[in-house]
Amino acid sequence: MRLIVIGNGLGGIISSKTLRELDPKAKIDIYAEEKYLYYPRPNLIEFLAGHIPQDNLFAFSKEWYENQNIDLYLGEPIKTIDPDSKEVELKSGERTKYDTLLLANGAHSFIPPFRGTEKQGIFTLRTLDDSLAIIEWVKDHAKAVIIGGGLLGLEIARAIHSRGTEIQVVEFFDRLLPRQLDAEGASVLKAQIEDMGISVRLGVATEEIMGRDRVSGLRFKGGEELEAETAIVAAGVRPNIRLAKESGLATDKGIIVNDYLQTSHPDIFAAGDNIQHRDRIYGIIPASFNQARIAAFNIAGQERKYEGTVLSNTLKVVGLDVTSIGLVNPEEGTSEEFRKERREQGIYKKIVIQDGKVVGAIWMGTRDKVNDISRIILQKIDVEKWKNSLLEDDFDFSVL
Amino acid sequence: MEKWECTACGFIYDPEKGDPENGIEPGTLFEDLPDNWVCPQCGVGKEYFQKMS
Repeated sequence: MRLIVIGNGLGGIISSKTLRELDPKAKIDIYAEEKYLYYPRPNLIEFLAGHIPQDNLFAFSKEWYENQNIDLYLGEPIKTIDPDSKEVELKSGERTKYDTLLLANGAHSFIPPFRGTEKQGIFTLRTLDDSLAIIEWVKDHAKAVIIGGGLLGLEIARAIHSRGTEIQVVEFFDRLLPRQLDAEGASVLKAQIEDMGISVRLGVATEEIMGRDRVSGLRFKGGEELEAETAIVAAGVRPNIRLAKESGLATDKGIIVNDYLQTSHPDIFAAGDNIQHRDRIYGIIPASFNQARIAAFNIAGQERKYEGTVLSNTLKVVGLDVTSIGLVNPEEGTSEEFRKERREQGIYKKIVIQDGKVVGAIWMGTRDKVNDISRIILQKIDVEKWKNSLLEDDFDFSVL
Repeated sequence: MEKWECTACGFIYDPEKGDPENGIEPGTLFEDLPDNWVCPQCGVGKEYFQKMS
């Protein structure tokens, strides 16, 4: 059996590794557009901050691939797929056959349709090359604006702030981390970020990146302007669907897969940031990790279903622990919310309850009992009797 | 001895077992792992681990 994997990111590497555990004989070939060995993308933030050297980004050495008997072709994007003859075309035009194909070619940074995005000094952060370009540029351009106050935007702000760059974060929504936090939690976070010396502007829509050939600032809707020499766009990612679409596979916002991570063609699987499963797109590591494992089982002929992943994020910005699990901003009237706040300590906790079960939680400024709350969400435990006391510091989760 | 979980992929570091494949002897506390130690499963750094309660 020859498996061709397109992509050497987390999805590609974890499924290759898993398939090797299940089938010592399968031939596994990874083709990747990037020219680097596998690196987990979160490491790019630490690299950008100057906390780890470039050599430490990589999780597995060349020897590791050799020991796993996985052939790796770097800097080798796949140009086309022919699902009928089961062939892929390499950039040289050469064609090569597969028995099974796995699309693990991830996602790309989304750049909203502002005017002026072709200038020098505008960046996104997705790849090692992106990080290297940012590090080089900010050396001489110490005034930066981050467009996007989501997870990645705040992580980038923290990272380049530690390089002595002056930073402003601008966010379209009226709060930071709009996907992970509610209004109260976001205002606790904003205060902490501002204390660190990073300024935050909320509720502003960027219309244009100004400057002649290089960035000089932003112009917002309404005409207001802001000065900056560097603009980093952190407005989310979009699945890479072009190759799949051109090959005739079903796509929508992502590559459409069934519960077995199979695309509309039975010999072609997909896993990671590029897929759309039960109408959902994830773009987070734990989801990609689960998908990659399950895809490998199905490729090996051991049927396993992917049932989705509960969204959960833990991050540390400005030394503040923030955990967000599941549904945190329910539609009005659909659920009960319980909160506990101790603002002077930066602590804010909230749970969302539907039909007697906790379906979402925000935990800020503490990690105490975060594993317990995570467990009762994942296991869908009935908490109706205890819902008023769950947020007490001394609540005993062993009763659940 | 406390176990730590990788928030990226769910790998659990158990100090009683260590990570012998990567030169970490059984009995090594999470806090004592070298700074360049990474999750043996997905490769993220130590800062992505969280203590299990």
